[in-house]
Amino acid sequence: MNVLVWSALIALMVPLQSVLLPQVKIAGVTPDVALVAACLAGLLGGELHGLVVGLTLGWVMSLFSAMDPVVAMGVKGAVGYAAGFAGRHVVYLSWPMLTVGIFFLSCSAGSATAFLLALNGRQDLWWAIRAVVLPQGVLDALIGGALYWVAWSRFNVERWMTEYRM
Amino acid sequence: MRMVNFRAPYNTGRLVILLAVVLLVGFLLLPAQFQGLFQRAGSPVGWVVSWPLRAVAGVSDGIADLWARYVALRTVEAENRELRKELEYLKGQNSQLREAAAATDRLAALLDFKQQIGGTTIAAQVIGRDTGNWYRTIILNKGEADGLRPDMGVVTPAGVVGRIVKTTSATSVVLLVTDPNNAIAGVVQRTRDEGIVEGTSSGSARLKYIPMLSDARPGDRVVTSGLVGGFPKGLAIGTIAAVHKEDEGLFLSAELVPEVDGEHVEEVLVIQSLAVPSEGERLGAPKVKLKS
Repeated sequence: MNVLVWSALIALMVPLQSVLLPQVKIAGVTPDVALVAACLAGLLGGELHGLVVGLTLGWVMSLFSAMDPVVAMGVKGAVGYAAGFAGRHVVYLSWPMLTVGIFFLSCSAGSATAFLLALNGRQDLWWAIRAVVLPQGVLDALIGGALYWVAWSRFNVERWMTEYRM
Repeated sequence: MRMVNFRAPYNTGRLVILLAVVLLVGFLLLPAQFQGLFQRAGSPVGWVVSWPLRAVAGVSDGIADLWARYVALRTVEAENRELRKELEYLKGQNSQLREAAAATDRLAALLDFKQQIGGTTIAAQVIGRDTGNWYRTIILNKGEADGLRPDMGVVTPAGVVGRIVKTTSATSVVLLVTDPNNAIAGVVQRTRDEGIVEGTSSGSARLKYIPMLSDARPGDRVVTSGLVGGFPKGLAIGTIAAVHKEDEGLFLSAELVPEVDGEHVEEVLVIQSLAVPSEGERLGAPKVKLKS
């Protein structure tokens, strides 16, 4: 995908994340669509693509949050890179596998954020893991899995991924 | 054999007419009670004739009714459609007017409050929430281009909302008073005991560092102390719900119910600069009117 399309997607993701999703909070938590997007970008485009998209999304999202931009960029960039690395070493990726993968990545990213915030003494780490990290991981995994399932059942994702990376 | 000739040898038609006229005249000349006899005699005939009459009348009425209903339904259906349309329009208009009335009330209260607190304030609208789950923030539709800067206080007529932590040219991020990362200097209005108001993980707030001998109790209001920049003195922060003694601590802490529900606030005032009171105002001296 070219830069323009990604830029448009990123620009649309901000109102989606800050205006629409807070209306449908589940257990007081909203899914992080930027994290899901970084995962899918890495998976489709490889490590570099995932890293760039993750860094950009982290930076843009941090402009509309109290989150430190370095932490946001680092976490989402790492997620995008990890997704790209995992995607390159997987021959066949089914949607259940991807759902589990996104859950794992989301929980890792959430735990890292909680740990960094706990270092400042402003967050209780275990409370954060129980109340934020795990519910958000589930929501992210469900959204990512659903998106991939739709793409998987309607399009030839494997061929698309191969062609896209070439 | 002689055949009987049934054919009348004279003009039968004339004879019948003549007979009828005679009978009619005779009938008219009869007394009234005899006329009723004919009426009664015709009753069975009328009963017999009434059946087909009613049947035909029924069918006719049915057709007429059906026709009338069909025509009427056509007009009623159209009228119903129009009325439904009108109802939907009026419902929408009613909803809009209610919303406008509510917004007018809120904005009028905000304007009054703006005049009360003095200084320079900027009205702004809330356009979004935090993009993550780690902070309790709201996003305002005004930013650096409108003169907003980090650390400016954000309030509503109900009380303190939070503090600006980040700005872009067109937006600002406000950290709510209920976020654990926020700290505002507060004072218990009744006892004048000072402390620091911090948010909690559960979404409420807490007044920390209250002196051990304080008489603060549930129901007391906590207001801004004005000691730290950003907020003028006396703005409502919350009401004490419970007072606790911190373990092995030298202070008390109080759970607060915030005055402003940051999750549902729509319009706010950003305090750009506080009004600097004159020496007389600061000391509470009464204003004296000069006689001309």
